[in-house]
Amino acid sequence: MSGSDVKVHKIALIGNPNSGKSTVFNQLTGLRQKTGNFPGVTVDLKEGHLRFPGGQEAMLVDFPGTYSLYPTSSDEKIVSTVLANPADPYFPDAIVYVADVTNLEKHLLLLTQLLDLQIPILMALNMADTAESMGIKINATKMAEALDLPVLLVSGRTGSNIMKLTLEIEKLLKKEPDKTRRPIYDLSPTEKQVAEAVRLNLNEENPYRALQLAHHHKWFPFLQNQEREVISTIVQTKNFQSLRSQVDETLDRFDRFTPIVQATIQKPPTFPNTTTDRIDAVLTNRWMGPVIFFVVMMLVFQAIFDWSVYPMDWIESGFSALTGYMENNLPNSWLTELFTEGILAGLSGILVFVPQIALLFLLVTILEEVGYMARVVFMFDKTMRRFGMNGRSVVSLIGGSACAVPAIMSSRTIGSWKERLITIMVTPFISCSARIPVYLVLIGLAVPKIQVLGFLNAQSLVFGAMYALGVLAALLSGWAMKRWLHTRETSFLAIELPVYRIPFWKNVWLTVWEKVKAFVVGAGKIILVVSIGLWALSRFGPGDAIHQAQVEAKVQAGVMKLDTIRTEDLIKQRELEASWAGQMGKFIEPVIRPLGYDWKIGIALLTSFAAREVFTGTLAVLYNMGSAEGDINDRSDNEAKATLREKMGRETFRDTGKPVYSLATALSLLVFYALAMQCMSTLAVVSRETGSWKWAVFQFIFMSGLAYFCAWVVYWMFS
Amino acid sequence: MQRRYRSILDLKINESAKALAFSDAELACKLTAMGFLPGARVEMVRHSPFGSAYYVKVDGVRFALREEEAASILLEV
Repeated sequence: MSGSDVKVHKIALIGNPNSGKSTVFNQLTGLRQKTGNFPGVTVDLKEGHLRFPGGQEAMLVDFPGTYSLYPTSSDEKIVSTVLANPADPYFPDAIVYVADVTNLEKHLLLLTQLLDLQIPILMALNMADTAESMGIKINATKMAEALDLPVLLVSGRTGSNIMKLTLEIEKLLKKEPDKTRRPIYDLSPTEKQVAEAVRLNLNEENPYRALQLAHHHKWFPFLQNQEREVISTIVQTKNFQSLRSQVDETLDRFDRFTPIVQATIQKPPTFPNTTTDRIDAVLTNRWMGPVIFFVVMMLVFQAIFDWSVYPMDWIESGFSALTGYMENNLPNSWLTELFTEGILAGLSGILVFVPQIALLFLLVTILEEVGYMARVVFMFDKTMRRFGMNGRSVVSLIGGSACAVPAIMSSRTIGSWKERLITIMVTPFISCSARIPVYLVLIGLAVPKIQVLGFLNAQSLVFGAMYALGVLAALLSGWAMKRWLHTRETSFLAIELPVYRIPFWKNVWLTVWEKVKAFVVGAGKIILVVSIGLWALSRFGPGDAIHQAQVEAKVQAGVMKLDTIRTEDLIKQRELEASWAGQMGKFIEPVIRPLGYDWKIGIALLTSFAAREVFTGTLAVLYNMGSAEGDINDRSDNEAKATLREKMGRETFRDTGKPVYSLATALSLLVFYALAMQCMSTLAVVSRETGSWKWAVFQFIFMSGLAYFCAWVVYWMFS
Repeated sequence: MQRRYRSILDLKINESAKALAFSDAELACKLTAMGFLPGARVEMVRHSPFGSAYYVKVDGVRFALREEEAASILLEV
């Protein structure tokens, strides 16, 4: 807390999925929000500052959309966990309940549960504008009386009554919790006994919260083992049937609030949304649906792949101009190099992903806001479930063919933890855009330019096969992980298919902004550190090896009468060979020799851990054309790639004198690059998204192990 | 399970019927919380392109259900 001893009030924003809760949150807090990580669970909670007209502030926490205190996904569990534990750091002083007024008969269950927990609460009836245009009449005063809480009609989309909502929240915070409020739901005799016993044993005042403890004692993370045992004994001796009692309670609550809704809301007789029906007749059609989906996804792919080239080029050329300027104007020392080759290179490696991340999230959020994503889940649920994933995983996998980083971040919409984890684990198998330069160089080297079956180019055939290999690896590992991972969490499909509507742009921009920020701040730190580490490894060597290499290179260049650029290239080559990275390349040579690689490829493998595209750059330096590095990575520059391929073709093994780059080596390298985990940005994002390094390490070992094995098999088959 | 009741799976496209009960407690818990209640009118709108999932309307609200979820909702004969 920032020095003040005034307690900052915490307000929870709670409501059903599709209640428009995040729109209300964005209206209330604007850009004054950040994503906090919920301790213990890997779900993010958004926090925002709410400023009252009087100048005071409160913290508003946006909880995941939830139907009931009886949760079925890790997302939903957060609400029940926090509200059952007054000691929780997120336990609210007051609750703002958001409900969709056009669908209120289904949106009040959770509200009545929250009321029974006796936390000060008010209800914001959202989508008042839509209700009006549908001819729905709402008597908010009568509803407030019947439910005994403040009720306010608002519209997140138009922003109407948001100011008034802020004032009501301020009023609410001044109220004391009403401990005498009559509960909406009367516990059944068994429930009463159980709640009473839990209440006495755990010193819990509220009977309904005591009942919650009895229902969820098996998984509530805040309970001590001893408390868990006590509750478990009570539940057993009273023969308490948790699921049965949950369903009965839910039905009873519906019986209680349905008459209130009917008495306070007047709907025109029938209001079928025929527009949504007509759109769905096409978009979810048996034949048209999948076709349209793939067209949409091709457009998304095209956008991330093609449109992002321009901003990415600007960022890269901007950084290389900056690097050039620094090199020319700063003293020639290792400090300058640290700055240009370590820090600037790292920053450029982070920022170059921003256009792709922003574009993917822009498009995915629009599809989500419109209501299309729910249909995607419906259409592909079966297909993806075979491979341990979920309909939504399709989006991540397709996004992965541009870049795994935003694709993994987009998996957050997957409700089941297991399905989301598998999606995160297998997405990097999909060939991303960074693998393309590597593929192009190696295919050009290994695969002859011949026609197969008269019209197919053998080189493009292999190129296509690399993509197929990635997809195959992703699906098969998904299938294997499905068998291997066991969770107690049951997986559900059951989702509402919301009415199609125009996206609310403020939500779209804020989501894009939040994702970009999360990547730059969260993953960026790690990428920067690794980038500096890799720079140090290739800049420094044991003893004065680097200096000696430099001197020798200069002498040799003098003897061979090389021009300045050639001399520079030679010095760079010899320095890299003598550096720690070079030593490590030689050190790991025995390990990679079975795959057909020499120590120079070893160095390239090590340095391309930073990012795959570094492979070609490192080889360029090693094969004495460091000055042409930029040209080689340029997608359209074929001449530089041809020169590099020519030089690689002349390379021989140190001991046997045989050429390094045979067909077998090149194919083995291709397979290795297709399957290996060689992207620290992805690992950083994986550890961020899964909440621990454990899964990132597992992924690294699994993917690289698989790559090693497959590359070995391929080398063995072709040599 | 004896086939004494019909479930959503038995509905033809565009056919509707009244939901009576659930045959699975866990699914009942999830579905009732979403507002899918006994007594609701269920209409089969279409099957998913690759099977095993169903697009239904419950009192006019659109839902997607998996095969086992749909099978757990018993209908009036």
